Amino acid sequence: MPTEKSDLLQGTLDMLILKIVALGPVHGYGISLRIRQISKEVLQVQQGSLYPALHRLEKRGWLEAEWGESDKGRQAKFYKLSAKGRKQLESEESNWNRLAGAVAHIMQTAE
Amino acid sequence: MSWWKSIFPKRASDAQMNSELRFHIHELTDEYTAAGMSPQEARRRAALEFGGQEKCKEEVRDVYRIRFLDATLANLKSAFRFIRKSPTFCITVILTLALAIGANSAVFSAIDAILLKPLPFPDADQLVLVEQHNSKSAAVLTRVAPTRLDDWNRLNSTFQALTGFYSEDVSESTGALPEKVTRAWVSSRFFQVWGLVPSSGREFTPEEETLNGPNAVLISDRFWRRRFNADPGILGKNLRLDGRLYPIVGVMPPSFLFPDREADLWSPIPSGLTIGRARENNWFVVIGRLKPGATVAQARADLGTIQVQLGRQFPETDNLSVTVDALKENTVGGSRRSLWLLFGSVSLLLLIACTNIIALLLSRSAQRQREIAVRFSLGASRGALIAQLLTETFLLALLGSGLGLFLAAAASGIFRSLAAQLPRVEEIHLDARIVLYSLACSLVVTFLCGLVPAIRGTRSRLSGSLAQTSRSQVSGRNPLQWLLVGIQVALAVTLLAGAGLLLRSFQELGRVTRGFDSSHILAFQLSMNWGETGDMKKLRQFTDRVLETLRATPGVDSAAISVGVPGVPFQYQTELKLLEGRAESEPKLVTDNRFVSASYFATLRIPLLAGQICRETDGPPTVVVNRTFADSYFHGESVIGHHLQSVSLGYAGPAEIVGIAGDARETGLDRAPVPTAYWCAPIAQPGTYFLVRTRNAPMTMAETIRRQLRDIEPQRSAYDFAPLEQHFSDGLAENRLRTFLLSFFAATALSLACVGLYGTLSYNVNVRRREVGLRLALGALRGQIIKQFLWQGLAVCLLGCVVGFVLAAASTRVLAGLLYGVSPTDLPTLCAVIFLVLAVSAVASLLPSIRASRVEPMQVLRDE
Repeated sequence: MPTEKSDLLQGTLDMLILKIVALGPVHGYGISLRIRQISKEVLQVQQGSLYPALHRLEKRGWLEAEWGESDKGRQAKFYKLSAKGRKQLESEESNWNRLAGAVAHIMQTAE
Repeated sequence: MSWWKSIFPKRASDAQMNSELRFHIHELTDEYTAAGMSPQEARRRAALEFGGQEKCKEEVRDVYRIRFLDATLANLKSAFRFIRKSPTFCITVILTLALAIGANSAVFSAIDAILLKPLPFPDADQLVLVEQHNSKSAAVLTRVAPTRLDDWNRLNSTFQALTGFYSEDVSESTGALPEKVTRAWVSSRFFQVWGLVPSSGREFTPEEETLNGPNAVLISDRFWRRRFNADPGILGKNLRLDGRLYPIVGVMPPSFLFPDREADLWSPIPSGLTIGRARENNWFVVIGRLKPGATVAQARADLGTIQVQLGRQFPETDNLSVTVDALKENTVGGSRRSLWLLFGSVSLLLLIACTNIIALLLSRSAQRQREIAVRFSLGASRGALIAQLLTETFLLALLGSGLGLFLAAAASGIFRSLAAQLPRVEEIHLDARIVLYSLACSLVVTFLCGLVPAIRGTRSRLSGSLAQTSRSQVSGRNPLQWLLVGIQVALAVTLLAGAGLLLRSFQELGRVTRGFDSSHILAFQLSMNWGETGDMKKLRQFTDRVLETLRATPGVDSAAISVGVPGVPFQYQTELKLLEGRAESEPKLVTDNRFVSASYFATLRIPLLAGQICRETDGPPTVVVNRTFADSYFHGESVIGHHLQSVSLGYAGPAEIVGIAGDARETGLDRAPVPTAYWCAPIAQPGTYFLVRTRNAPMTMAETIRRQLRDIEPQRSAYDFAPLEQHFSDGLAENRLRTFLLSFFAATALSLACVGLYGTLSYNVNVRRREVGLRLALGALRGQIIKQFLWQGLAVCLLGCVVGFVLAAASTRVLAGLLYGVSPTDLPTLCAVIFLVLAVSAVASLLPSIRASRVEPMQVLRDE
């Protein structure tokens, strides 16, 4: 277990999910696993937030879902990015970059 | 239609969600097992890490749950906020809708009560009116001989029962003054047919229904309240009718208004009665109740077959055809066209109101672009926004229809007094059905008015909207809004054309040459009963005595009697034959018969064109015919000296034609004179009117005459005093009702269309202020600006008028049967309507145009 965990910034979970799903069809467990791995165990997604978020994104039409077999042969629900979702991801990404840049800029110059 | 899907999205099934979450826990368990835990420990850890499964599921479900109530509540809240924020706008919308929905509901309540609801009797659709026709003569004999009714009752297979009645006025003399009351004599099976029982007391006993049995009378609820102040101890009290005592045995329910709403009393006709039993004595109105499941057509066929048999059996009297009609159709059928016409026009009015509101909402949503853009950017879906906008419209429509219901309640009183002549008018109430109807109206209005503005208003997403202000916007063209204005104008023109035609026809009716002078004529009746007609001599004396007294009264010029009021629809057509013989090829002598005193012509100032006035002697009777009679049956040859005899009525003739009178519109002011024979019969009978020419205003003489008559006829009541002109206006009541209401709706429609035009043009001027300012600064003349805006408004109106003209020409055929003296495509009326609309819309356009020309260039440019 990681020694120090960070809570996800409000509203960034959706963007992270979109980003992960953009790599290819993946199920819920896979998403939580990848977020954990890629963030080097810094970010931990609560399942209680992950699944509502997935369904919300699906309802908005940003994700598409279909049932398939996992590599271990179990039935799993796989999510993939829709065209609409890709656009959304792009706009959120650029927003995020601007925001992160601005925050970083303030942190550096205001010292 | 993606917005639709977003309002009602698919629900994820619980089973799928369960297996999705289970998969996650399995994978976690595998992960921990791989890390070296025991399967049991791994499962425990996995469950622990996953956290509250139920809570998670609930949150996922929340994503899908429409949370309709919450959303609606939130939408309602925001709608109320919207109303608070823009009160003027909302009050305009609510008032417009209140007027339109209120008027619509009021007319619908009349249609519902009169046309749609069954008559107020149990299984009222089984009730039929049965009439007989003599196909040989042109006479319309609608009444039925009691003996024939008995035959029908015995032989038929489609009726539960048939019953007959007739009504007459009698004098009731237990009070201080004799009072005229209307009594219906009813045959047996009366209660079985109506399916009613007295609301208090009892029905007639078999003894009371036999000859020489005890007297009995049932009284109407109205009479009970009017005369006895709803005294609960009324049963057993006596009425003195024509000198005989009748105990009251019961009170009928208030809904029972047969033969008509004037009926006060019902008495049984004894079954053993021998007078009036001959097969040619037709004096019953017959009502039948069909067996369950039997149709009117079956009953018609059934009675038709029976009557053919009877015709063979009694060839002298029974060669008749029988008609069977639903009682309701017979009662209300005559008002159907007027009512649907009103409903059609009031629905057009609602449509105009809706168009107006669409225009208002469109300009509103243009102003709300920024608000909508902000909501979009905060993540609202288009469906949610449309739902919110629709909720606002619905709330407005709901408030409007609520207010409209109050208006309708107030209007239904006015309607009842205006439409007192319509059948069943006392049944018009504001009930749950009307509330439901206006609720349905507001739903329809919501979608009709709200959908287009809501869809258009949410079309431009946040792209640019937030950043853009309308500063440098130059063009203010809104083709949709101008289209709406055009539609309003077109509909208003259609309504105005209808109203104009009705008004013209009403005017024509007033101008018609009546052929008699109805001013200064007072009409009234004296209570009589049919029993008196047994002694003609006595009746003759009575009539002479009354007429003498009237003529001797100071202030009275002349007095006459007439069965039926001249100029009020009443026809007694029969076929006459000429004693002198007549070629078979000639048309039958079908005439309207008027039974009058010789003084009738002088009293009503009907000119005598040739010959002399008929004689009131006891010798051979004489008749006067009118000019139409002479022209259409004798083609200019001499008429005088011929003898007429009635084909079916023994007592009328043979009579010598002694004179020709001028044509008078006896059978209705709106009907051309028909061939008429005036029989000089100075014998009053029930229903006879006394007509008095007075020197001063007619009604001022009523009290004097009443007192004079009390001296000579203390047992009779004189009633129904009214100037003759009053009878005409009663006869035209339905005509006036629809003319008045249609004119009112049309005026409302025109003002709504003007408000729409004014609003749209004003909005347009507002949007284009900067452009105007710029042009003024560059040297444009103010006159040019006025002209430009004025023309913009007028051009749309002109187009609307053209479309309206076509619509009116196409739809005024609806009016064809309701018009008198004007054609449905009367060009002057249509042109006048268009002129009126253009004039009014010019005024409505001028104000915003002038405002546009007053723009201060410097001010506007500084704002930039």
